[in-house]
Amino acid sequence: MSKAPASARSRAPAVDPVLASLLKVQEATLPNGLKVRLLPNRQTPLVSLYLFYRVGSRNERPGITGISHLFEHMMFNGAKRYGPKEFDRVLESRGGRSNAYTSTDLTVYHEDFASDALETVLDLESDRMRSLRISDETLASEREVVKEERRARVDNDIAGLMDEELGTLVYRAHPYRWPVIGWMADIEAISRPDCEQYFRTYYAPNNASLYLVGDFDPREALALVRKYFGAIKPGPEPLPVIDPEPSQKGERRARVHHPAQAPSLMVGYRGPPARDPETLVLDVIQYALTVGEGSRLTRELVYGRELAVHAMMDWTWRIDPGTAIFFLELKPDSRPEQVEQALLAELDRVIADGLSEQELQKAKNNLRAHLLRELSTNAGRAHALGQYEALFGSWRAGLTLPAAYAAITNARVKEVAARYFAPERRSVVTLVPELPSRPGLAA
Amino acid sequence: MAQKARPRRTRAATPGWKLPPLHEARTSTGLKVLVCPRGPLPLVTLRLVLQAGSAHDPAGKEGLAEFAARLLRRGTSRMGAREIDDAVEFVGASLSMGVTEELFVVNITTPAEHLGAMLEVMGQLLRDPVFPEDELTSARTRALAQLANDLDDPALLADRALTRAYWGAHPYGHDPSGRAATVATFSREDLRRFHRERLGPHLALLVVVGAVEPREVFHAAERAFEGWTGGPEMPSQVPVLPGPVLAGRVVVVDKPDQTQSQVRLAGRGFAFGAPDHFPAVVMNVALGGGFTSRLVNEIRVNRGLTYGIGSYFEAHRADGALHVTTFTKTETTAKLLKLTLGELKKMRQKGLAAAELKHAQTYLAGLYPLRTETNDSVAASLAEVKVYGLGTDWIERYQERVRAVTLAQANAAAARYLFAEPPVVVVVGNAEALREQLEPFGEVSVVAATEAE
Repeated sequence: MSKAPASARSRAPAVDPVLASLLKVQEATLPNGLKVRLLPNRQTPLVSLYLFYRVGSRNERPGITGISHLFEHMMFNGAKRYGPKEFDRVLESRGGRSNAYTSTDLTVYHEDFASDALETVLDLESDRMRSLRISDETLASEREVVKEERRARVDNDIAGLMDEELGTLVYRAHPYRWPVIGWMADIEAISRPDCEQYFRTYYAPNNASLYLVGDFDPREALALVRKYFGAIKPGPEPLPVIDPEPSQKGERRARVHHPAQAPSLMVGYRGPPARDPETLVLDVIQYALTVGEGSRLTRELVYGRELAVHAMMDWTWRIDPGTAIFFLELKPDSRPEQVEQALLAELDRVIADGLSEQELQKAKNNLRAHLLRELSTNAGRAHALGQYEALFGSWRAGLTLPAAYAAITNARVKEVAARYFAPERRSVVTLVPELPSRPGLAA
Repeated sequence: MAQKARPRRTRAATPGWKLPPLHEARTSTGLKVLVCPRGPLPLVTLRLVLQAGSAHDPAGKEGLAEFAARLLRRGTSRMGAREIDDAVEFVGASLSMGVTEELFVVNITTPAEHLGAMLEVMGQLLRDPVFPEDELTSARTRALAQLANDLDDPALLADRALTRAYWGAHPYGHDPSGRAATVATFSREDLRRFHRERLGPHLALLVVVGAVEPREVFHAAERAFEGWTGGPEMPSQVPVLPGPVLAGRVVVVDKPDQTQSQVRLAGRGFAFGAPDHFPAVVMNVALGGGFTSRLVNEIRVNRGLTYGIGSYFEAHRADGALHVTTFTKTETTAKLLKLTLGELKKMRQKGLAAAELKHAQTYLAGLYPLRTETNDSVAASLAEVKVYGLGTDWIERYQERVRAVTLAQANAAAARYLFAEPPVVVVVGNAEALREQLEPFGEVSVVAATEAE
């Protein structure tokens, strides 16, 4: 787990001096396996805590899809010492706030708080890691909350509907096939024993990493972490996730019929895993194609040919091969086939000619500037450290990112574009606008 | 609790927490410049705020300020849109425009070494935009398509319908993006007039926060904004709203295929910085601000009726409103409304418990420094207090003022603001399934999505 990414090894990109000055991290691993990373920053009287558990929807199986996310909700519903409703009540009354998210790969808990609440927060977090209590009553209520969340994010949201459809096209066998929030029927069916087993398997200290950034003395903070987390027993190593995805033999397509004002287009290409150095080349391509008003697809498809209202490329680092997704919001009279042809022609241009020197340099400059902006808050630093460690194997991978980007040549851009934007890796979802199921009732 | 905790420094609790020193000057053309040097990141935020928000859109031209903001970067007499984008984006800077009810905001964040060049770009955009005819036509088509697509976003639609139902024809009564019917009429002359009449140096403020030397900023600002004229000399007055326009009524925006209702409620609020601003804001934390508020506890945690519910005060220069925002499946819409109104009534009549007040105060005061963590947020806070005519002590004494709120003051704010008069209710969802459910809450009118934009 602690090896640097292959690219960082072979080419040994240089450490960025500004990033190194911002990320003077102190490391420890407790005997129970909990990784601890401490980064003091005395600028404001606040601390951010991130606790990463290495579990997400990729650890699920059909029948319990959505359990990682439902479980994230259950973590706020009471443990041995701090019972139901206590977690946030105690945290807020000390000047803090909490949040959490679940992705395909990770479940991440986060608190921002006034620095004098550090011990309280460690007490709260360790309590639920050691001794979460799940009652039938809170599970029943939380299940309803999650169903409302699904209705808001997927069932009544066009991009949500299309994204869910795309997942089932790109992946035939890998757990990335189902949405992180899970299928509605599975959310209905997840039981308390399912949750309890999930907790025992994945919420052990040896499956977690703790990041603290902000106004504290690192020796005192580490002593407090040992005091609160040191006695929690490690669990067995979770089973590895197998990537059973067969190679794709040709383009896949789906149409989603839904009441809408305009069609939309989503095109996905199965990409590499985060640890593959080609992931960083796709980052550069993403920035050159859709980040900023002067980015190529915005310039060509939105301003130039006026085919789309908005064009974006989503490329997210994942443990297993993720998907590069192009999402184009169209106009009511747009013809999606025509827009699709225009998009594919643009991707073919990248394959044939790559980017201009100016576009390439601009993308690199922006990637570094965005990295610096991300690191301008305690929460941003803590989260970035956790991401690098979970997805690249070491938080130090972040220090060499600007140099790794800087080393990317146009030849490499063409090579990577040709590999991943190949027709046999493509999946296309088109939203076909329909009339509502009945006429409107307005007078 | 295990061993007793050793108390640490409690800087968060110390009143008089300070901003970095501020430096202020005025350019020869009258633009006020406020500089806040702040490390350690080699980044700078430039935030120019002008009193040209959507409340000043002429009648029949709703959406003009935001449309002008889109087009400002599409060409000056010296640089085309491509050159502007390249100049900003090549160096890793980013340029964004924003329009609120009150303000027209141009924001650039940039690596510090490009400060001078970015100020130069900003100066050109403000002094010398050309609004090219072909760019205008294509921007109008895009804006109309965007407004059409927005009709498919139930949450957005609910917000806009509520704005209309609450404020009516008041200057705050339209979303900054305007309406399809008004956007369709925008001409180059409208934009040129807007530029001439609304965008000038006298009421504007440039805030610069980050790794900078104040003298260099003043020098560069002088050059960048040299010769800039026009715009208002005096702030325009926006009237106070006599009362919510559709008070006591229920507006249903019909979306036949929704399985979930978006619910919005609003009642009277206050102008930013009003005498009871702090008591009201503290009270709201207990009602629907934090994650342990009464609304979250009763509606989400105890009953699982929603994923999200919250309340907040919208506070502009002249007036404001209290909002409650939530959603639930179609079948439980009336139940959720009834419980929500019940919670507001209970707090209005019986007030807060002393422990709730204390909790809200510690929460708000403890987290306030988060709003001063980045160059962007420091710039936004400074611009806000300056534009509203408040001193920087608004920021430095915020925590102290939160802690000073008494139970009597918080309860008075609850009595005043928690729907003492009937609120405006907006529901976006399946009207066929909703109409009967909603009749107990007031006279129900059903409108089409296109009437709610």
